[in-house]
Amino acid sequence: MSIGGSDLDKAITQLRACRPIPENQVRELCYKARELLIEEGNVVGVDAPVTICGDIHGQFHDLMELFRVGGDVPETNYLFMGDFVDRGFYSLESFLLLLCLKVRYPDRITLIRGNHESRQITTVYGFYDECLRKYGSANVWRYCCEVFDYLALGALVTGAATSLSPTDGPLAENINIENFPEADADIEIETLNANGEIMYRCARNSDSQSSVTSQPNSNPASSSPIAPTPSRVGAAGTGATSSANGSTRNDTGAILCVHGGLSPLIDTIDKIRLLDRKQEVPHEGAMCDLLWSDPDEIDGWGLSPRGAGFLFGADIVKCFNHKNDLSLIARAHQLVMEGFKEMFDSTIVTVWSAPNYCYRCGNVAAILELGEDGSNAGYVRRSNGDQGGGGGGWILGSNVGVGGVGIGNGGPTGGGNGNSVGGLNRRLSSVLGESGRTREGPGRRYRVFEAAPQDSRGMPAKKPVADYFL
Amino acid sequence: MALVPAPSNDRKRVKVYELKNNDWFDRGTGFCKGVVVSQDEAKILVASEDDPTRQLLETKISKDDGYQKQQDTLIVWTEQNGTDMALSFQEPEGCAGIWDFVNEVQSRLQALAQDDGLSDDIGESVNPIMLPLPELGNLHEIENHMRAANTTPGGREALAKFILSQDYIPKLIPLVEMAEDLESASDLHRLCSIMKMLILLNDTAIIEYVVTDDVVIGVVGALEYDPDFPLHKANHRQYLSDESRFKEVVKIEEQAIRKKIHYTYRLQYLKDVVLARILDDPTFSVLNSLIFFHQVDIVQHLQANGAFLKELFGIFGAEERDLQRKKDAVLFIQQCCAIAKSLQVSARAQLYQNFINNGLLDVIQYALRHHDASVRVAGTDILVALIDHDALMVRSKIFQAIQEKTKPLTDTLIELLLIEVDLGVKAQMADAIKILLDPNANSASIEALGRTNSDFLAKVRGTLPAMPQTDNFIQSFYDESARKLFQPLKDLEGRKTMDNLSIQEVSLYSHLVEVLCFFIRQHSFRSKYFILSEGLGARVAQLMDCPEKHLKLTSLKYFRTCIGLHDDFHNRQIIQHHLFEPILKILFDTMPRDNLLNSACLELFEFIKRENIKIIVTHLVETYREKLAAITYVDTFQSLILRYDQMHEPPTTQELENSFTSVDSDTPARNVGIMNGGRWGQALKDADAEEEAYLNGSDDDDDDGLPSAVKPVLNGASPVRPLVSYPDDEGDDDDMDILATSAPLVSPHNISSATQTQETPVTSPSPKPTGATPPERISEKRRREEDEEDELLANISNSSTKRRASLSSNSSTASTGSMQRLRRKPGINSGKDNGGGPKKISLSIPLKSGGEGGEGD
Repeated sequence: MSIGGSDLDKAITQLRACRPIPENQVRELCYKARELLIEEGNVVGVDAPVTICGDIHGQFHDLMELFRVGGDVPETNYLFMGDFVDRGFYSLESFLLLLCLKVRYPDRITLIRGNHESRQITTVYGFYDECLRKYGSANVWRYCCEVFDYLALGALVTGAATSLSPTDGPLAENINIENFPEADADIEIETLNANGEIMYRCARNSDSQSSVTSQPNSNPASSSPIAPTPSRVGAAGTGATSSANGSTRNDTGAILCVHGGLSPLIDTIDKIRLLDRKQEVPHEGAMCDLLWSDPDEIDGWGLSPRGAGFLFGADIVKCFNHKNDLSLIARAHQLVMEGFKEMFDSTIVTVWSAPNYCYRCGNVAAILELGEDGSNAGYVRRSNGDQGGGGGGWILGSNVGVGGVGIGNGGPTGGGNGNSVGGLNRRLSSVLGESGRTREGPGRRYRVFEAAPQDSRGMPAKKPVADYFL
Repeated sequence: MALVPAPSNDRKRVKVYELKNNDWFDRGTGFCKGVVVSQDEAKILVASEDDPTRQLLETKISKDDGYQKQQDTLIVWTEQNGTDMALSFQEPEGCAGIWDFVNEVQSRLQALAQDDGLSDDIGESVNPIMLPLPELGNLHEIENHMRAANTTPGGREALAKFILSQDYIPKLIPLVEMAEDLESASDLHRLCSIMKMLILLNDTAIIEYVVTDDVVIGVVGALEYDPDFPLHKANHRQYLSDESRFKEVVKIEEQAIRKKIHYTYRLQYLKDVVLARILDDPTFSVLNSLIFFHQVDIVQHLQANGAFLKELFGIFGAEERDLQRKKDAVLFIQQCCAIAKSLQVSARAQLYQNFINNGLLDVIQYALRHHDASVRVAGTDILVALIDHDALMVRSKIFQAIQEKTKPLTDTLIELLLIEVDLGVKAQMADAIKILLDPNANSASIEALGRTNSDFLAKVRGTLPAMPQTDNFIQSFYDESARKLFQPLKDLEGRKTMDNLSIQEVSLYSHLVEVLCFFIRQHSFRSKYFILSEGLGARVAQLMDCPEKHLKLTSLKYFRTCIGLHDDFHNRQIIQHHLFEPILKILFDTMPRDNLLNSACLELFEFIKRENIKIIVTHLVETYREKLAAITYVDTFQSLILRYDQMHEPPTTQELENSFTSVDSDTPARNVGIMNGGRWGQALKDADAEEEAYLNGSDDDDDDGLPSAVKPVLNGASPVRPLVSYPDDEGDDDDMDILATSAPLVSPHNISSATQTQETPVTSPSPKPTGATPPERISEKRRREEDEEDELLANISNSSTKRRASLSSNSSTASTGSMQRLRRKPGINSGKDNGGGPKKISLSIPLKSGGEGGEGD
């Protein structure tokens, strides 16, 4: 009955074959997972190297493809940003496999919560029904939902390298090599297809990046001038780096990973720590926002058409990143046809890992690899509370909009004026991108892949109702 | 020109549905007739059966081809103004009569129109199509023909007509076996494509036809060879040929119904398996509505069939020896109840009434005690469905049992919860107890019932002997049963160590504490005195000593819930029994590690600080000042001490100003709700007049604390208002409804929910369409491609949520009530408005900086 050691490996084998494990094993697994997850903070610390993945949505065979492309666990470290379940026909197998891997290799795989890891959402979008069909009762669904409540809300990746060690992979067909940076340049972004062939490469601080900067940021769906490869993907998504041309010092900030985005109630990562996350995803408030919000081309905050969470603009992201010493926010939550999409001068990226979403959307998927900073000079994790006296002033800064550079409503009168001014200046400079203060983004290697070949599996279908009376 | 004879106007009983917000809204039941008004005008009239002078429907028959007959008893059309309407007939004959009438009127009108030379597009739509007689040699040609025709609506229509009129499908079927014999993969793939195209024509008649006994095997046979999976062959034929999947617990005599059961099963198979990947939205919804209407027919037939019910429930009599049959009968009833969830409220009420009269409650008792866990699951399922449908009725039955000195269902549930070994079932039983005692659980069904059919409501009320008040029910629960339920907690008293709890015990305690949390929120004052008299607070605190961290967490949540109520009664209890001791112990044990337990502790103290709960702040600082002062990894505790100092020192002008800002801006309950999941509304609501009275009567001697409920707001919170509408704000409901319903996205997923939802315990008074409304929209039901928006929460809150979803987490408190909150009012903040600036931020900034400014120095 107990699941551990060899039993666990057996369960993993069985799940890899897309066969569900018995109910009592699920229960054991969920209890084990709960023990582990309760020890994790609301924002889990993760060390680079790590591969960051977006929504999976029960597309089991594509998850297998993801592991094929990105490397298997435990050889590759993974961070999954939620939405494991719903929509696809194999939510159960997908989630249980990830959970098994988590229990088996706790330090190698990190799971954080998505908006679909919720009782209410799963009853509508498929996971509940799937459990009912596959087990005949809702018990397994209950066990899984209990685990959902324990999942962390975000992760903070530290120690990522600013530049990629070059892959020696072959070039994909039809690549125009002239656009490639010099061999000895610091590579900031690289895009590989599912076969590990290089489709796109871009150096940091290089003037020769006309091809990159010429890509219309606002129109990522347009076919890329580079690399019309068989996988239909160019470097679309990299709205990269026109402004990220600081020096090449190795001081990349940390990378915050959340499923949705930012919250107006959270101005520092430490604030996330003050949430009691063990609950159903609420309909409002900080926890809800982290799982539901979306970046958008607006100033400040906006109402979300989703009915939960908010929209937030470039100014919000830049302030937040600056204040929290972040170089990048990685999030999922939105379908992007190219698999990933960098926004706001590469301060935030959407990663989407469910190819041909819902078996029909025709999109490709991507995962984001962050390398380890070999020089050990990377970001040093802040000790908590060293925000110190800056508090008042920092907060004031978030009132500053980008466009008008007006000072919102001035903040509170009274104390802390000196601080405010200092903070404001720093904030302004960072928002306007005028100085080298902006944290450099980590080196980012995107691997883009398509849906698993159809013949590698059966036809995707729901499990039919077994017996019927009516 | 001869007038069309009006159909024989014997009383055709019919239900009128109107599609509102993608739900079929029941306009009522009445009698339908067709009338010829003049030579060029004819109408369908439906007069209400309750009040024959009231017309439920009066519609002019238009000449345009907008009418559809689905199955034998349904006519669907679109009104001139764009409203989709449906008539659901009780008898197929009635339906056929009206259908013929409509057709005749239409053809006459069209003839008239042509006479006038005004015919517009009629010629085009009847453009006939001819396909060659199918043989293996010309499949390619046929496929191309079909593909071409498929591109225009007219072509699709003509194709569908041709297929049906020429019996084309039976001609295709033999080719499958021929191609199989020849092992001709390409032909098989073509046959599959052709068959797919036929089904995706989305013609109801074709879809109904392909699942009939004669052709279904042939059709799915062709579909086994999907060209998208050239190396793969499905085994649909084998699956569907397996007759043993159909379990007939009691023989269903009516052939038509038996057939319908099989058709329904095949339709589901088509939807879930054969076509799962390729279904487009219209076909998906047609399949769904077909399945739905079949199920309604089946269940309606069975529940009205006295002999059948007698035999079904007779299975549970002593003379039945076959245990498997008993088990199957439970599962059968479970399935009936599951389908009933999507029935109209009145139909569902009738079903449950009939079931209960035949002994449903005994069946539940039987099932709950069954040795097989799956039967116990089914039993709780039925029970929860029943309570969700009508908690009042269940409670009245329990009342009755109490009066008759037989064992009431509550006690059975409690006993079983305490001894249940299957942890899943245990969780479900704990949920059932919560629902049964949820004072809000009755309103939904009765309200909905009243809306749909007031007569029926009266009838129901009449049949139940003096409807006992929910309140009395809960009172009697606290008098009789609560002690039994929480006995295990009480037994903890004197227990030396918590180190050796068994898995069963741990699970039981966490359920009990969660139930207790639910009770203190839902029935505040009764639970309060119960907890006091039983000394449960200290027992829960004891649990924090156990090594199981999740149980610690659950216990902690109990205290967080108590404190969240802003009720000094609870607060004094906690202080008096020194229950912060174990909480602080957890804090010190876990700090400064960053983990869930530690965060939960911090959240609790943050809450106390933010709310400035004076009595607790005083207690904490006076008792633990040094300990707290030593905690520096977060500033929460420094702030607590500061709060205390501000409270107790004569303030200077400067400080007064500071503290004023900090208290004001930081206090409001509203803010709290936002920080951690919005449960304040529920909490505050509980402080009702009744409770106030109760409290004042017994316990008004000490006045040192705050008034017992901190009312929501000092000035600081007001800016929040425009952003979020709260259900408690009366008068907002309309706005919210408009917002919710005007969202075009509400549509896509009603299907999945409608087929499986239960009534929601709506705490808000807004009349919203519940999941009980039946037929599916004919088109646009589901939009999978544009993913982002269809995950709208608003969407979910509109289609009713499953109650167990909300209940099984003790923190999801105000389930449906709070859902409303996330529908924000439209037009408040355009989001693009640069100049005005976002409201939210203008709120939160002064709040935070004010607070910290006050404390920081």
